[in-house]
Amino acid sequence: MSPLEILNAAVSGEPAPRIPIFCNLLDQGARELGLSQKTYYSKGEYVAEGQLKMRARYGYDNVWSLFYVGKEAELLGCNDILFCNDGAPNVADFVIKNYDDIAKLEIPENLTDHPAWTETANCLKILRSEVGNTHPICAYLTASTTLPAILMGMDKWMDLLMSKDTDIRDELLRKCSLFFEKEIAAYREAGANVLVYSTPFGSTSFVGMKRFHEFSLPWMQRDLAAGGVNDLTYYCGMLPFNNVITQIQETLKIGSYYISPMADLAEAKAIIGTSGLTCGVIDDIKMIHWSSEQTRAEVKRLCDIGKVGGHFLFGTGVMPLQTPEENIVAMLEAAFEYGRF
Amino acid sequence: MIENIIKAYNEAVYETDKEAAFDVVNSALAQGMSAEEIIFQVVIPAVEEMMSLIVKDPDANLAQHFMTAQIAAEVTEKMLLLFESPPEIIGCIVMGTAAGDLHSLGKRIVMGCLKALMVEVIDLGVNVTAEKFVDEAVAHNAQVIGISAMMVHTAMGEHGCPEVRKLLKERGLEDKIKIIVGGAPYRYDEELYKKVGADTWARDGVSAGKVIVDLIKEVKSHVTA
Repeated sequence: MSPLEILNAAVSGEPAPRIPIFCNLLDQGARELGLSQKTYYSKGEYVAEGQLKMRARYGYDNVWSLFYVGKEAELLGCNDILFCNDGAPNVADFVIKNYDDIAKLEIPENLTDHPAWTETANCLKILRSEVGNTHPICAYLTASTTLPAILMGMDKWMDLLMSKDTDIRDELLRKCSLFFEKEIAAYREAGANVLVYSTPFGSTSFVGMKRFHEFSLPWMQRDLAAGGVNDLTYYCGMLPFNNVITQIQETLKIGSYYISPMADLAEAKAIIGTSGLTCGVIDDIKMIHWSSEQTRAEVKRLCDIGKVGGHFLFGTGVMPLQTPEENIVAMLEAAFEYGRF
Repeated sequence: MIENIIKAYNEAVYETDKEAAFDVVNSALAQGMSAEEIIFQVVIPAVEEMMSLIVKDPDANLAQHFMTAQIAAEVTEKMLLLFESPPEIIGCIVMGTAAGDLHSLGKRIVMGCLKALMVEVIDLGVNVTAEKFVDEAVAHNAQVIGISAMMVHTAMGEHGCPEVRKLLKERGLEDKIKIIVGGAPYRYDEELYKKVGADTWARDGVSAGKVIVDLIKEVKSHVTA
């Protein structure tokens, strides 16, 4: 079976030789090609090459079309990204500097005509051509409730969110939700088939249960109303969200859940059961300082919990550049070993 | 009367309702409470109460941390204008985000709480070099350097906390200035603060207030001993 078939089997509960094994190596692509981050991320062909080379070297299942999270801000006018060579790029220029900028914010009529999309499209074109029929191609999409954080900064967004001025807040959210609709359509059209819906405000670690119901959930419904959720994975930026899985299942009908390393995986698996896909995620920040044996033990623990009954995927979090090579190898060897049926 | 004011103020803070909190404060002033009484009998105990609640409450969330700090900072600012004489400051901290890091939310939450706890805060902004942390700490006679980092490479990177530690050591300042770190990577690896050379860490911005106050007291007791 191809990795794409193994993923589909895990989702549907069909027999497969092993669980799907996902690994998120993003900034490592630049190191792989011997390029600075800035140069690496300037061309879609570099990102695609980096992704393909690392997948080939380690043998995991997926590739990413994600450059860096700030790419979405660039589609909305951001002109300054702070690159460094030891970690992920930062948005250095906020598109929204004051509330007047919210009225001026324009969502491009056609995202695929935007210059900032060109390199993403180039990357996806190569990935689709090389592995599109056999491997999952991941895309990262920020929910409308979270996108403002990269457009204006998280603290300014919290100011607006917690203020009583819901008119300005909702104007921004309507624009962000419209952007999301266009972006998800563009990624699907370009060939991405695993869409990671990044929604930290969909975790009650960010907002309380009351605000989750009154604010987060309705905006997530709006984001997803037009495009459907079959290829979507619910992800809260590594925050736990077990306590809202049932509500997400009932309201948004999402099937796949990327469970925080801080959450109880057994509990999540019990809630999701055979109705969807539980993604067990290793704590790859702790893994930086683990030994290979500790890494293997943690992979085994996750697989032992999740593999029973299928409907399970092994995945990683942010995979910092500081993660030792031997631990990446140990993690993946263990995932293939303990993920076998 | 005071019990009712404290109860109403605590409820407003817990519910993240800034307007309600200000209503309580204005009502207390109208009833004859002094600004000093409001700060020391209502606001500071409320911050301390939130610190303890946030640790115990599984439903405590970022929005509560943020609003606890915002309300505490804004009420304190307003009350300080009404103080008959300037309050005694516990100590001083210089705070910023590590080199390469532009995330300012956590720092802002900590600063809001510290303002209410009568700690002088020097805000160094974002993307702060190790040299600047140390130079500014010396210039302001700060007892503590606070380094916020939201990404692994800024938490662990050679230009962040490890370099601050190195500079403090080189300049013989390790007994006079302590380092606290905070931010997402430290929550995933609770031992990470030691690996980057910090003296301590805090799980969240509100809890950081108490940790910093304790650290200031520790430095002061050491220096005066």
